[in-house]
Amino acid sequence: MKRQDGTGGAVDAPPPMEPSADTEIGAEIEAAAPRHGAADPVKALMRRHHDLCARAVDPLEIAAGLEAHGLTDRAAGRYRHRDVFSLAEEMYARVPRDDDVAGGLSGDSVDVRHGSAVAPGWALFALLPGAACAATAAAVPRVGAGAARLAVVLGGALAVALALRCALRRGPLRVTPRRAPATRAWVCWLLLYALLGDALLRDAVAGGPDEPGDLWEPAVAPVLALTAAVAPAALCARLLALAAGRRLRASRGLDEFAASARPLVFGAVALFLGALAGLLAAARTLPGAPGAWPAGAGALGALLFLARLLAVHGFRRAPALLLAAAGACEVTALALVFAGRLPGCDVLAAPVTAAVDSWGPGVVPAAACGAAALVLLIHAARTLTLASAHARTGAAP
Amino acid sequence: MALVRVALLTEGGYPYLTGEARLWCDRLVRGLEQHEFDVYALSRSERQEARGRVGLPPNVTGVRTAPLWTTDDRTLHGAGPRGGRGRGARRRFLACLAELAEVVCRGTGPGPDSSDPDDMADRFRNALHGLAELARAEGGLVGALRSEAAVRTLERACRAPGAPAAVRAARVPDLLAAAGLMERALRPLSLDWYGDGALGSADLCHATAGGPAALPGLLAQHFAGVPLLVTEYGVRLRAHYLAAGEAGLGAPARALLASFHGRLAAEVYREAALITPGNTHVRRWQERCGAERAKLRTVHPGMAADRFAEIGERGYDGRADASGTLLWVGRVEPAKDLVSLLHAFAEVRAAEPGARLRIVGTAAEGREAEEYLTRCRALAARLFPGPDPADGAHDDGAVSFEEIGGPGVPDLADAYAAGAVVVLSSVVEGFPISLVEAMFCGRATVSTDVGAVVEVIGGTGLVVPPRDPGALAEACVALLRDPARRERLGAAARARALELFTVEQNVAAFRGIYLEIVSHCPVRRDALDEAGEPVPFAHPAEAHVPGRWAASASTAEAAATPSWAGRETDGRDRLKGAAV
Repeated sequence: MKRQDGTGGAVDAPPPMEPSADTEIGAEIEAAAPRHGAADPVKALMRRHHDLCARAVDPLEIAAGLEAHGLTDRAAGRYRHRDVFSLAEEMYARVPRDDDVAGGLSGDSVDVRHGSAVAPGWALFALLPGAACAATAAAVPRVGAGAARLAVVLGGALAVALALRCALRRGPLRVTPRRAPATRAWVCWLLLYALLGDALLRDAVAGGPDEPGDLWEPAVAPVLALTAAVAPAALCARLLALAAGRRLRASRGLDEFAASARPLVFGAVALFLGALAGLLAAARTLPGAPGAWPAGAGALGALLFLARLLAVHGFRRAPALLLAAAGACEVTALALVFAGRLPGCDVLAAPVTAAVDSWGPGVVPAAACGAAALVLLIHAARTLTLASAHARTGAAP
Repeated sequence: MALVRVALLTEGGYPYLTGEARLWCDRLVRGLEQHEFDVYALSRSERQEARGRVGLPPNVTGVRTAPLWTTDDRTLHGAGPRGGRGRGARRRFLACLAELAEVVCRGTGPGPDSSDPDDMADRFRNALHGLAELARAEGGLVGALRSEAAVRTLERACRAPGAPAAVRAARVPDLLAAAGLMERALRPLSLDWYGDGALGSADLCHATAGGPAALPGLLAQHFAGVPLLVTEYGVRLRAHYLAAGEAGLGAPARALLASFHGRLAAEVYREAALITPGNTHVRRWQERCGAERAKLRTVHPGMAADRFAEIGERGYDGRADASGTLLWVGRVEPAKDLVSLLHAFAEVRAAEPGARLRIVGTAAEGREAEEYLTRCRALAARLFPGPDPADGAHDDGAVSFEEIGGPGVPDLADAYAAGAVVVLSSVVEGFPISLVEAMFCGRATVSTDVGAVVEVIGGTGLVVPPRDPGALAEACVALLRDPARRERLGAAARARALELFTVEQNVAAFRGIYLEIVSHCPVRRDALDEAGEPVPFAHPAEAHVPGRWAASASTAEAAATPSWAGRETDGRDRLKGAAV
């Protein structure tokens, strides 16, 4: 009984036993005292505590269970044992043990990351960023130039950011603890480049930009496709978690799990890439979309998805490094072009200029993000197939 | 000036408001105000931390806490996922881990190749120390202990020849669960508690529970030689077995964890300078897990007796005697077996028609308890038809269900005052608090033979087998019919309780034990000068010799030969001094 004195109920309070219905009490009493003349009182006891005996992994577990049912050393005396421990030892030794049974019992309830615990409604939240972006893109051309337009653009950007935050904070793409600010800044830069970078680079190679208005030639369609791709990304992450959890429960060994998980990882990535390609193709049909295939946006989408997937499973270092590397590549490409205008430094701009002249400005993000995504894919194939990546690591069980 | 700097180690207990044994710790700390306490608390859940802490007395000079429920602290991952920065550190990490895993996989029971148990215990300790040193040098090992390499090491050990069949059947979920829970138990390794400003400068570590709570004490002893005192009011290992059964872990995972916790408990008992079980039941478990008998001192928990002083001194007065009332006090739950009590009371009532039964409970918590209370009420109504027994104490019904704070029972002491015989009918009981309260009040008792009841009552009350209404009824009737015997037993019970179960005796016992440990196992620290350099010869060599060197050095004979050089009396003294 827990009251305000004593030791606060801390003194060895065993859990309550099953309630015994009042009609059973007679039977209980009869069973508790071994009948005189019974040849094997322990056998009757074992039958009564059959589950406990079958489940026990060592004699002490039986002893703990017996004591929790009220058996004391004095009661053990009636089974011709000195104490509960020696009685439990006899019971443990007499339980028929089948190794296959032990194997079959194992781990039905091991928590697998996100196997069950995702906030409801995540699918709805995953659709929000795409919707916010589409609304903004539709609204901007309808407002006149000037301050009103600026307000709409800023408001739209804010809405998309909030929607992204909601979508990533809950559901299968949730990362705990949160990412470092530096990584978040690089992601923002990569998205900004996807929006404005290609046009800026084209102008820079051609000798511009001549006036501030030249800076504002946003590539809306690929960014719209990217924000819409949050939904398939969440879906793929969820599918991967569920399938990996199932494989985890079915695997006997770590190598077996790794072998069976590899196709799952590739499958999830392929599924996402397919969905992203579809979204990008759909975006190209929008009025005002550029004619060239947006390879840069595709590579960026793959990079962001893989980085997030790895972070969700507890691998933060490699994604952070590669996001920074891709961002730095894009910064460098722009900086080199502008540096080439300094007297005597033409040679600095030559490689970027040549590449842009041959393949168009999209080559820079495509190469930078594509290479980073490839590295992350190789990393994911090695790390996401580890069983420890799919075990719950955050909250203690 | 503090006499002793005590580091109080807790897990999910003091100083949290919802902690276990917090009242005991609070009384201990307040009772020993001449000593200085530092509290090192491991918290079990986010909720526990959010609920806040109790107020601390001024002699608690510091509180350090660490969560067991999250791994999201960066300092816990200092060593990275591979156990260190250099290649050497990583290799050492894997070697220690492999050793630990192998020992754990062998199980605690006698295996097929019955290897030397002492050897296994040594290997477990070496692995533990190796990991602790690594964590101290490289930073927290939480990430490394949950890494794939750790799980793989565990898998290899499980599949090794010589591992028991239960462990060999381990599948991936078992391995992951076992690795995760072992990491949680080993969390103290990753904490920065062992430096000079913290545990390293304590004179004594007092662990308030076994298992993970005592682990910081083990490491403090390893790093700084601080003696460890372990107090257990409930057996941590037993609690682990019961919890693991309910958590739904697979058999291999449970086997691994049971073996790990068994080894950890044995190591704690082996390293502790003294162990103080709260009752004989705990003591038996500790002996069973390898605690030396010479180290065990039973210290019963103390309870505040002053509330019951008035009633106890008054003894039985007319009011209690005339009523012929049986009293049951406690929290209504199935383990208390009120059903047996009601059946027994039916027999009592047949023999003594004037008898009444008062069931005084604290408010039922949880659905199960409420259902049980409803069932008991229904049974009472069926067995004793008449006025509604639910109306409280004022009616003439045979059985009344009351709550403390209700109209009939303003407080607990009043309830005891009006009872002739106090009955305890539990089938499961730890340390029976209501029984001790009845003893403080000088009431005769009838209780079932469960838990620590026999030890507590010690012949000053009647004891019957559990689940036996006939015996219970017989004992109650015998006491109801014999006021003189009732009075005799009540007085004896009160004397016994005042001797053994007061807060004062508990605090006094620990006061003595602290001084004993500090005098027998003082921490040897290098004396430092102002610049922080060690002072050579600051302690004479004799300081390291156990025994009464100072006393015998005063005689001329002893001045000629060093005291440790083999006089027989010194040898005896040495033994006496070393026996802790």
